[in-house]
Amino acid sequence: MPLSEVKEFFVPQEAGEVAALLARFGNRAVVLAGGTFLHGLAARGLLHGVDAFIYLGKAGLSYVKQVDGVLAVGAMTTFTELGSAEPVRNLPALGAIKDALQYPPAQIRNMATVGGCVASASPLFDLPVAFLALDGTVKALGPKGEREIALRKFYLDYFEHALEKNEFLTQVRLPKAAARSASAFLKLDTNANDLALLNVGVCVTLDASGNCRDVRVALGGGIGKIPVRAAACEAVLNGQRPTRERVSESAQVVSSDIHTVSDHRASAQYRTAAARVLVKRALGRALSRLGVEVN
Amino acid sequence: MKAMISLEINGEVHEVAVAPHATLLQVLREDLALLGAKKGCDTGGCGCCTVMMDGEAVYSCMVFAMTAPGKKITTIEGLQQNGKLDPLQEAFIETGAVQCGYCTCGMILAAKSHLSSHPSPSDQEIRQAIAGNLCRCTGYQKIVDAIRLVSVGR
Repeated sequence: MPLSEVKEFFVPQEAGEVAALLARFGNRAVVLAGGTFLHGLAARGLLHGVDAFIYLGKAGLSYVKQVDGVLAVGAMTTFTELGSAEPVRNLPALGAIKDALQYPPAQIRNMATVGGCVASASPLFDLPVAFLALDGTVKALGPKGEREIALRKFYLDYFEHALEKNEFLTQVRLPKAAARSASAFLKLDTNANDLALLNVGVCVTLDASGNCRDVRVALGGGIGKIPVRAAACEAVLNGQRPTRERVSESAQVVSSDIHTVSDHRASAQYRTAAARVLVKRALGRALSRLGVEVN
Repeated sequence: MKAMISLEINGEVHEVAVAPHATLLQVLREDLALLGAKKGCDTGGCGCCTVMMDGEAVYSCMVFAMTAPGKKITTIEGLQQNGKLDPLQEAFIETGAVQCGYCTCGMILAAKSHLSSHPSPSDQEIRQAIAGNLCRCTGYQKIVDAIRLVSVGR
């Protein structure tokens, strides 16, 4: 449907008002954050039966807070705002976020929002992969109140997420990281406005003896319908010393964790080969942030 | 249904009736006859519709007009001061950084926004600042030259 068929535009002043409007409109309303994804959807004929936009811009959802080590990011926070938050600029544990925000051009960073990016449920976006590597969760608000959903269980299928039709995403939460933790993110693309051909987020923690624990490797881009965790990669490193050989071995087995797809932008074989390289480099970058050089 | 909103554009307040789906680009061009911002891809990929909102570069084709009240919007028409072009506009003329001209207004506003917070960018930073703007004529070099010309201390 063309966007011109949309009849109403609501600007609620608080989150509760958003929930009330959703209860009234259900699937006939689109919750609008930055809006950078919406025009692409409409242009491709992927938007149907929308009577109303509910704009989150005035609902008090633009913030980045750190409470007891947990980073809470309001759904309406722009990429620029997230990137300039002190913890994101300075903490090695949040390096994956800092990395992921380097890719989009300024015009997108200034408008695109954290909540919109996650709730769009596109497998080609970057921040969800970084958040998955950081074991993030999301908060949703609906008629039954608020609930928290692990990002690992949030994505169900292509453009499908675990939100009920009357719920909307209010916050992304990243748990407190252990003392010696660092993360990193890398994206394979062809230009500044490109969606990922492949992207990788990793997080590594070193224990007192310098061995890896709680390793998380997440991939997105052209690897199927949702971003995934790479259990085989993680298993190779967990409990082990992060040597160059071990990191290479971990990166090699990523092919057993993912099912790359072929499309007009890249073949599955190319994506698989690239995944091995990107996982190795991303692990190297995260370890480097912990003072361990493996590349 | 259309609603009346007020938009502050280049320091002037305009009252306009806009539809729920209307973009800032449509309002600028079709309601206010501010034709500097161009319609290119219309899906946030080419940059020729770039304007500044509260000093930040945005794709006006992606901004719903209904979300713009309360923001200070600057288009290329608002860069001149008392009939005198902005130094960045002069630099584009001096270096010949224009061929067909379709990307130019967006390029200048993307660069202007970046320079306001980073007055002395390296060439690499200049290229990153205009990474969201496509030019199909110049090969970018003269555009980078123009932006470098007004960079402080370079």
